[in-house]
Amino acid sequence: MAVIAESSAVGGRQDLKRLAVDHARIRTRQRRLRELARHLALGLITFVLVAPFYYVFLASLKDSHAIFQYPPELVPWPPFWGNYANVLSHTNFLRWMFNTLFVATTVTVLKVFLDSMAGYALAKIDFTGRRAVFLLMLILLMVPGGALIVPLWSLFNSLGLIDTYFALILPPLANPLGAILMRQFILGLPRDLENAARLDGLNEFQIYWRIVLPLIKPGLVVLAVILFTDQFMSFIWPLIATTSDNLIVLTVGVASLRAHGGVDYGLWSASAVMSLVPIAVLFFILQRQFLARSLAGALKQ
Amino acid sequence: MSTEPGRMRLSPEEHARLRRRARLRREVSGWAFLGPMFACFVLFLVVPVLGTAWWSTRFGGLIGGTRFVGLDNFTRLPSLVGAPQAIWNTVVFAGASVPLILAGALGIALLLARLERGGAIYRFLVYFPVLVPGVVAALIWLFLTNSDFGLFNEILRAFGLPPVTWFATDTALGVLVALDVWRNVGYWAMFFVAAIIGLPGELYQAAKLDGASAFARFLYLTLPMLRRIIFFAVVVSTIWAFQVFDTAIVLTRGGPAGATTTVVYRVWQYVFGSSNKVGYASAISLVMIVAILALTLLQMRLLRSRRGAD
Repeated sequence: MAVIAESSAVGGRQDLKRLAVDHARIRTRQRRLRELARHLALGLITFVLVAPFYYVFLASLKDSHAIFQYPPELVPWPPFWGNYANVLSHTNFLRWMFNTLFVATTVTVLKVFLDSMAGYALAKIDFTGRRAVFLLMLILLMVPGGALIVPLWSLFNSLGLIDTYFALILPPLANPLGAILMRQFILGLPRDLENAARLDGLNEFQIYWRIVLPLIKPGLVVLAVILFTDQFMSFIWPLIATTSDNLIVLTVGVASLRAHGGVDYGLWSASAVMSLVPIAVLFFILQRQFLARSLAGALKQ
Repeated sequence: MSTEPGRMRLSPEEHARLRRRARLRREVSGWAFLGPMFACFVLFLVVPVLGTAWWSTRFGGLIGGTRFVGLDNFTRLPSLVGAPQAIWNTVVFAGASVPLILAGALGIALLLARLERGGAIYRFLVYFPVLVPGVVAALIWLFLTNSDFGLFNEILRAFGLPPVTWFATDTALGVLVALDVWRNVGYWAMFFVAAIIGLPGELYQAAKLDGASAFARFLYLTLPMLRRIIFFAVVVSTIWAFQVFDTAIVLTRGGPAGATTTVVYRVWQYVFGSSNKVGYASAISLVMIVAILALTLLQMRLLRSRRGAD
């Protein structure tokens, strides 16, 4: 009897073990299935989001007859490079690109310094008006450039700066976002560091330059990415501030291809593809900082 | 008596003098650091905002002089050709695009946040449209919406459906909304991913043990905890939607029959398409600025009071 009871008990234990193993296996399988479903859903979503790029790239490799063909060739062979040659020879595209990169770089470099200095003052120096200035910046943070074109235009016109690089570079410097972000970053630094630096006899500028700037380097890179992409994409002010073909930026030039001149799908597709090259390269190199662009908005005030 | 010998040596006058000097140094260095950025801020943002208010009381053109007309521009605004339509179009645009963008972004973010591996490639691809300038995005969409060879109609044709005219009076604004969703969904998806990953995991474990379904966990845990984040996203993306201009000017040129003429588009037309409507342009601009300031203040207020609550 005892033997039988013992053996059945052992059997029960083995059953339990098998049950647990089965259960674990089912759960793993369910987990894998869910993971697979997520991959499928995300794959579909990204396919839909990316398909327009592929379609316009395809169109750029077709001549004016092939583009109307049905069904459309999914891999045009041999590719037709004439559209790209047209963009380079019939438009001022490279000059527009240079203007965009020049203006965006200048604004970014200037603004990284201005904003980090302003952020340092707002975060660490106790002077009269600090709170009022910060509040004013928060309130005006969202005011859109599109609503300010009349006074800005008349200001720059009276200064005689319409249709110069100054008109493109100066107004973006007013954006308070960078100073607010930098203040946030600098507030996060430990107080002991600057106190130690002050005891060592460093003045405010030395503290900012030698202690604070190196510590907030990651923040500076994110700020630079935000500023550069915003500038790369800006349109309405450059459209109004410049008129000569040698000064307009990429977005304005590309828009002029659509506004003036006839319907030319080859020119449009090739210029669209070429416009994306610089920002795509930059995104590839600085992926993490770009993705942090969204997160910067999440900073609580 | 004192254990601080340094303090003993200072007479009260000396102490006060030193404090004044330290204070002066703080004032000078504070404004020196803030100054350059603040000067730009005042000159190119504060002054233009005030300037818009001034211009909104004028009648005339940018070149050729103006005269003071009081609040006439505002009282005439409702009967002005195109102005109410532009405001209506912009409100409809924002009302349609904001919920679609944020719902889509939240969905993508939930998928991405739960992913066990391989998220990087999706993030890269989902975010890519965000980096396309509006003008270029509009050019790209010309190739999707063309009635002869556009991708949308090719797909319809593949399913044996009749082609659609995408730029009709009742569809053009919808196309602009779709473009906006395509271009912005990645931005807010990344924003939400960061927020979701930051949520406390123990709560979800507990809910799971209690037998809460995935949907219930989303409804009763994720959504309430993300309330502030979502509110922030609603306000900011609404403000952005109010400013739509570059896609409208390139893709639809405001048409057909003004169906996609937005506020900023109308402002631009008043200023550069006619010689005497600068006052109207400024009046509409001011309405928009005030609406955006109201949204900003509302948000600052709600964020602050909620922070005080928890």
